[in-house]
Amino acid sequence: MVVGRPSEKSGNAPMIEVVDLWKSFNGRTVLKGVNFKVWAGETLAIIGPSGCGKSTILKHLCGLLTPDKGEIIKRSDEIGLVFQSSALLNSLTVGENLALGLRRRKLSKREQSEIIMEKLKLVGLADYINTYPPQLSGGQQKRTGFARAIVNDPKIILYDEPTTGLDPVMSTIIEDYIIELEHELKAASIVVTHQLSTWSRTADRVNLMFAGNMVWEGSPTEALQSEDQYMKQFAHATRQGPMAAGKV
Amino acid sequence: MNVTAQFKRLALTPQEMFETWFGSGLQLCGQTIIMFVLTLRCIIKGQIDWSEVWRQCYFIGVNSFVVVAITAVFTGFAMSLQIARELVLFGADTAIGGVVSLALIREIGPITAGVMVAGRVGSAIAAELTTMMVTEQIDALTVMRIDPVQFLVVPRYVAAMLMVPLLSIYAMFIGLLAGINIAHIAANLPPETFMDSVKQTILDRDFTVHFIKAGINATLVIMFSCAIGLHTRGGAEDVGIATTRSIVWTMTMIFVFNYIVTSLTYAPR
Ligand SMILES: Nc1ncnc2c1ncn2[C@@H]1O[C@H](COP(=O)(O)OP(=O)(O)OP(=O)(O)O)[C@@H](O)[C@H]1O
Ligand SMILES: [Mg+2]
Repeated sequence: MVVGRPSEKSGNAPMIEVVDLWKSFNGRTVLKGVNFKVWAGETLAIIGPSGCGKSTILKHLCGLLTPDKGEIIKRSDEIGLVFQSSALLNSLTVGENLALGLRRRKLSKREQSEIIMEKLKLVGLADYINTYPPQLSGGQQKRTGFARAIVNDPKIILYDEPTTGLDPVMSTIIEDYIIELEHELKAASIVVTHQLSTWSRTADRVNLMFAGNMVWEGSPTEALQSEDQYMKQFAHATRQGPMAAGKV
Repeated sequence: MNVTAQFKRLALTPQEMFETWFGSGLQLCGQTIIMFVLTLRCIIKGQIDWSEVWRQCYFIGVNSFVVVAITAVFTGFAMSLQIARELVLFGADTAIGGVVSLALIREIGPITAGVMVAGRVGSAIAAELTTMMVTEQIDALTVMRIDPVQFLVVPRYVAAMLMVPLLSIYAMFIGLLAGINIAHIAANLPPETFMDSVKQTILDRDFTVHFIKAGINATLVIMFSCAIGLHTRGGAEDVGIATTRSIVWTMTMIFVFNYIVTSLTYAPR
């Protein structure tokens, strides 16, 4: 039951197209025919209860999982993923973690360290370039993961809960940065988040996921005022509604 | 899950238990062979990160020298003592050195070094890679289009191929020194007699077989521990399981392959 219409931009093909995506794990079906499109220069927020398969969708988009059924069309191979768990290599320093993303570009040492410094300054971690990830706080690790994902100026950026665990000021900085990147790189972005400020500020469109499907789609403003039973329950965080506890 | 259901799950018939064990073992062997092929392919293409190889050499080799020496000393003591005791009874004092050194170069040297590397290095690699797997570090590499085999397995394998033969031959020499000493003390055998016997007995072929065994041990340790590490999914508790599994598999395989090589090279004709 998809309510809103995608903000189809005149003539351009979407950067990401997901068609009828199905996925099961050990006999339990997590994704049941998910459909959506994202255009360049646009941010789609995917929201939904914990365990409904949001991270699973992102993993399909960057090739970590293969669909049981359905199709994923991407119009760029330059993809950045900000992992929910940061996923930094603990045996490498912050700077070396960023350098990993640059390996295949065969840059000179100077070019490489310039890019790394630029990205680290962006997330306020320039002083930590030689620190090992286990010595960073959770939020600092998240920001390092953010810097690493965008080190190649990707055309598709996937954020898995980019602001979870950050203080409100840092959340705002990261949100601003997501907005800025969308304009600067003309990237197609998908933000998976539980945080209202993050999706309401960054997204052009919001998709609500429940029980393996997208159940609502619209703009953030529409989402906050929606009378749809799912969206209303989610936006107002109430116990009354179709999303009973434990049911995803 | 209630208690009866749990009990039922544990109470597998011997046949079911064998099938599970056999199935997962077969799967692991397949994964290990594929890992080996992928690793060789990277090496042939010259995709070797030498600075990482040296770092791994330090970890695999230098840190193992002490434990290998200790095990080799005591194995040399025990073996030489037994052999000296028996051969003296037959008046074959002059053969003691030869028998001890043969055992050391053909069997005990490679086995000692292999088992110590399996315990120290194989388990550490399995734990490290499993941790990287469950914390999505390997996924992060894949997203950045870095081949985990090339990045993680190849340097460890090249380093092991350099260091394990060194450790084996080192274990052999330490064992020999221990043997000479204990034969001198316990059986009153002059070191010169011992060494003469060694020189008369050991052939070049023994060194070749020694290095073949060491290379096979290095391959077994690295490939099994990497295959286990890179195929474990789940949570933190799986790290412990993977570590144990890698030790059991690599040590068992070291003994099996040691015998296979021995039977192919030394079988009486
Ligand atoms: N590799 C996997 N193997 C087995 N089950 C998996 C795997 N990955 C995800 N799942 C299952 O799929 C479901 C969806 O997981 P997913 O991580 O996508 O949820 P999510 O929507 O991101 O939740 P959260 O908001 O808590 O991060 C979960 O029930 C999870 O147990
Ligand atoms: Mg998630």
